[in-house]
Order: sequence, then C-alpha cells, then structure tokens
Amino acid sequence: MKAWELRLPDSLFTELKRHLFPGDGDEHGAVIAVGAAQSPRGRRLLARQLFIAEDGVDYIPGQHGYRALTANFVARVSHFCAQNRLGYLAVHCHGGRDEVGFSDVDLASHRRGYPALLDIMDGRPVGALVFAENAVAGNIWSQNGIEPLELATIVGLNHQRLYPVLPQHPTISDEIYRRQSLLFGARGQAILRGAKVGILGLGGVGSLINEWVARLGVGEIVAVDFDRVAPSNRPRLVGAAPWDTLDFLLTSRWLWLRRFGERLSRHKVRIARRVALGANPQIRYHAIVGREVDAPVAAELKDADFLFLCADSMQSRLMFNALVHQYLIPGVQIGSKVSLDPDSGDILDVFSVARPVLPEPGGGCLWCNQLISPARLQEEALPEEQRRRQAYVDDPAIEVPSVVTLNALAASAAANEFMFSLVGLHDEEGVLPGYRMAAPRARRWSKVACMAEAGCLHCGRGKKSVFARGDDAALPCRAAPTN
Amino acid sequence: MSAEIKAAVEEAIGEVRASFASHKVDVEADDQGGAFARVHDVPIGSGFMPNLSWIGFQITFQYPFADVYPHFLRSDLARANGQPLAKPLNPGSAFPLPSGAVSAVLLSRVSRNRDPLTDTAVVKLAKVIDWLRAQ
Repeated sequence: MKAWELRLPDSLFTELKRHLFPGDGDEHGAVIAVGAAQSPRGRRLLARQLFIAEDGVDYIPGQHGYRALTANFVARVSHFCAQNRLGYLAVHCHGGRDEVGFSDVDLASHRRGYPALLDIMDGRPVGALVFAENAVAGNIWSQNGIEPLELATIVGLNHQRLYPVLPQHPTISDEIYRRQSLLFGARGQAILRGAKVGILGLGGVGSLINEWVARLGVGEIVAVDFDRVAPSNRPRLVGAAPWDTLDFLLTSRWLWLRRFGERLSRHKVRIARRVALGANPQIRYHAIVGREVDAPVAAELKDADFLFLCADSMQSRLMFNALVHQYLIPGVQIGSKVSLDPDSGDILDVFSVARPVLPEPGGGCLWCNQLISPARLQEEALPEEQRRRQAYVDDPAIEVPSVVTLNALAASAAANEFMFSLVGLHDEEGVLPGYRMAAPRARRWSKVACMAEAGCLHCGRGKKSVFARGDDAALPCRAAPTN
Repeated sequence: MSAEIKAAVEEAIGEVRASFASHKVDVEADDQGGAFARVHDVPIGSGFMPNLSWIGFQITFQYPFADVYPHFLRSDLARANGQPLAKPLNPGSAFPLPSGAVSAVLLSRVSRNRDPLTDTAVVKLAKVIDWLRAQ
C-alpha cells in the first residue's frame, strides 16, 4: 500500500504550532481540512484550512480521555469538510520532542468516532494527527482501512520534515558528493537523492537547471519539452552537439533535405537526458516530448517535490502556477530578457529574474503578480494561422536576443533557491522569498515583494480556489480530441 | 476534430444562454476543450447597418484565466454614416468555426486588469455590445 504524506503550507503550520505549543505544556486541539492526491509515488494529503479548537469552548475535558473536541465543533467542521469535498484530520499534541505516538485512549476514541465520520465524508480521508515539538504521528482512515502517516512536509522558504520518530541521519554519503555534503551533510544529500524535480522547458535556461540539478544528486527528474534543437539554440543548450542538429542536412542546397533534417533533429529533452545521466548515472530520468498542458504530462508532475518553470509560454505559466498551489509543490519561474528598441535596435533593458513561488498568499503567485497574460493565454490556444491573422490586428511577434550567460544568472539563483530550500539552509525562517531580479549592466541584484489577491483562484482560499485541492480540482489542461 | 468541453467553459456557455434566453445560441466544441459560441440577432445600435448582427467568440480551454477575444460579427457590417470600418474593427476576416469558417468582421477588444471571477464570457460580451452601441 502506498505511503501517506501530509503537506502543509508554512503559514498554516506556524499557526498550528503556535496553538499547540504556547509554552504551557498542556494539550490543545484543532482540525485540518485537507485535499488529497494520489500517484504511483504515494498518497498526499494537502492542508487547505485550519480550524483552531478554542480551549474550554471547542476542546474540553473528555469523558474518556484528558481532552476532547466537542460534538458541536466536530459536527460544524466535518460538515464544512463534507460540503467542500475535503478530508478531515483531527489534531492534538503530546509532550516530548523527537518522537510521538497515539495513546491507547486516543486509539479508542478514533474507533468510537471515525467510522461515522467516514460516512459523512463520503469516502474522503478521515484521520488523526498527534504532534510533539519535532514529530508527528498520524492514522488515516479510508475505504482501505487504517493506515499510518509516513511523514509531514512543511513547505516554506526552508522545508521541514516531521516523522513519528526522528530518523537516524545517514552519516555517510556517496564519496563523489563528499565536497558538497560538507555544506548540507549526508542528511541533505539523502534529501536530494529522494527528491523528484520537474523541469518545464529544456531550452537555454532549462538545460542549465537540468545539468546542475543532476549534478547535485537529485534522484528523479521529469523533463518536459516538445521542441527539437536547432543550430541557433546550440550556443545556449548544455550538451548540444552538431550531430544533434544534423548540420550537414540543414545546410543542404536541397529544400527537401533541409526539411528532412529539421524533422530528425534531436528533441531537447533527449539531450537533457544524456547530460543528466552523464552527471548522475543513478538518476531516474523521464524525458517527455510533449507539453505540460496535456493531462498525461501534468499527471507526471503533480507529485514532484519542486518545479522549475523554464518555458516562456503563458500556458506553461498557468499550469505551473496551478500545480504549485493545487498540489502544494514549491517552484521557481526563471527567465531573462533583453529589450531592444524596435526601430533603432538599441538595448533598452537587460534583466534576469528568478521568481520563487510558494503555495502561500504573498508567496509569489504568478497570477496575483500579473505575470500570466489572459490575452496571451487566449492567443496561444489558437491555431498558428489564426494567430498570424490576429497579429495583423494586434502586435506583431518580435525575435528577442538570448544569451547563455544571462540565462545562467537567473538559473543559478533558482538552482540555489531550490537547494537551500530543500535542505533547509536559508538564513531566514518564516518569511516569504520574493522575486530576485538581476540588472547585469548595472551589476545589481534586487528583491521584489509579491502581491496577493484574496480572491485568487490559485492562492486564495475562496470556495472556487483550487488551493490544496489536489485531484479534486481540474488542472488547466487541454482536453484530448475525441474524434 | 473536437474534444469534450471543459466544465468551466460549459458553465460560461450556460451563462451566455441564460443572459440571451430569447436569442438563438449555437455552440461548437473546439479540439482542446474550449468552444465556439455564436449569439444571433443581437441589436448593436444605430451606428451600424444592419443594426442586428450575430456575435461569435471562442472560449478557450484555459478559461476563466484566458480572456475571451476577439469577437466576430456579420461580414456585411457597415457604418451607418458611410465611413469605413476602422480598428478595432477589421473587415474581411473569418470566424473559424470547426464546421467551416464564416466570413466576418473581427472586433479585437482585449480586457485590461481582468478578474476571472467577475470578467466572465457573458460580461465580456455585454461590454462588447455596449461598445458597439456607443459607436
């Protein structure tokens, strides 16, 4: 049976922890409403909303145990969960620090109450969690029976992992990683080895990320790109060689041979796979020739631990933003831009940007920060011919400069953002990352604070928001043709 | 080729039908989960001849995040004052229905500061009609 993992946004966990451990050493309670997701990798519960049980009002001396949630509170919250198609996790705390488990009294109360709750939840997960300062244990009740929670992952600027028992840290990592594990230890190396990373777009930026993430020792990469390499890409594409673009065909004087050569040029994800395996032969690599807006491709990404968005379409941005917030997967969007005066060709602006996106209000949601253009979303859905006709009415497309060293600026910021987040080594705790923008001509980096709109359909908590809904909400995928 | 229309797009079409209950509304699925809709016999004001037109548009699969534009009108549309049609109106276009393109005048009005919760397809259509009637 696949393992259960609970993922919590940092702000929700911080609020819960403050309530459970105010320093009085007493027991406190709450309920977390959760979405759920399932994949071959395992099952995830996604914390969407926290209901604090007020001491003495909602959490009172129990008939059988020390404390219990009142029937009114349970009824109110379980009704909310059922109405909103969410699962129900009751929470309380014990003393101790690195190890925790349910008492016999706890287990007896579950047996009394949870069968009825399962009926109310109409098949959605019902469960209980017990926290210590640095540990969590859980039992998840479902149609499959009662199953334990394997771990809880707190998704923030620094990731945290809680287990029922603090695992023995590995003391030795693979010798080839010795130098880097001096920074984050064998434990950090093990975290990277256990991580699954999605890379959307394997062009100039994505190919850099691909190599670096593989060299860090990440265990699994899902790389998505539909495109083939062209000669003009090679200066920016890590690992691309002349035989990947079949130059001898592309320079033929025969048009049909040139067209043939274009169709045979290697797909970018295949080059990326070659590079990643060269860096880390143990890596599990999924090279997907396709688009992330196709449902089977999106399904491969929904259980990732981190996403890199290195593609520049609006459809990709929307899908990335949806995955981050719907499945509580942190990510970073990367880009670099050189603006030229359309008449004179003079350089107007050069910048590189790494935009971390955490599943939090103010966490960098691309929609709230107006980085997803509704107009371009519509245009990208049109066939090529129609786009050309509309371009006559609206604005013509302009080819823009692209340079490997500018790509590397933002890519390295993003790769370090990923590494420090996953192993928990950022200096700051409990803050939102903000965007990082480089102005290389001025030799300056700046941090940009992010906006959040309460009604956002991705990062908001309104009824229609997909936040932490997992498989219960539809991703913005295109439907497959039916005839 | 067509595909099953996505739930959000179906909901938008339902809102259009409800708001234009006395009008014929044709719908054709596109091949990605979106749909083409055409509302017939819409009064577009005295600034145009004829002053009744069908109005067509495509709701693409990433609605409600995607904008709904351009809109298409009958191909023989003309200004009542005899002046030529000018931007954002573009004559000599075609409404690209899956069943066959229909000659049309294209009206391109991009929404600024779009809120997907409130700027629905039917609200956009109403704004387009208001704009036409104000000409």
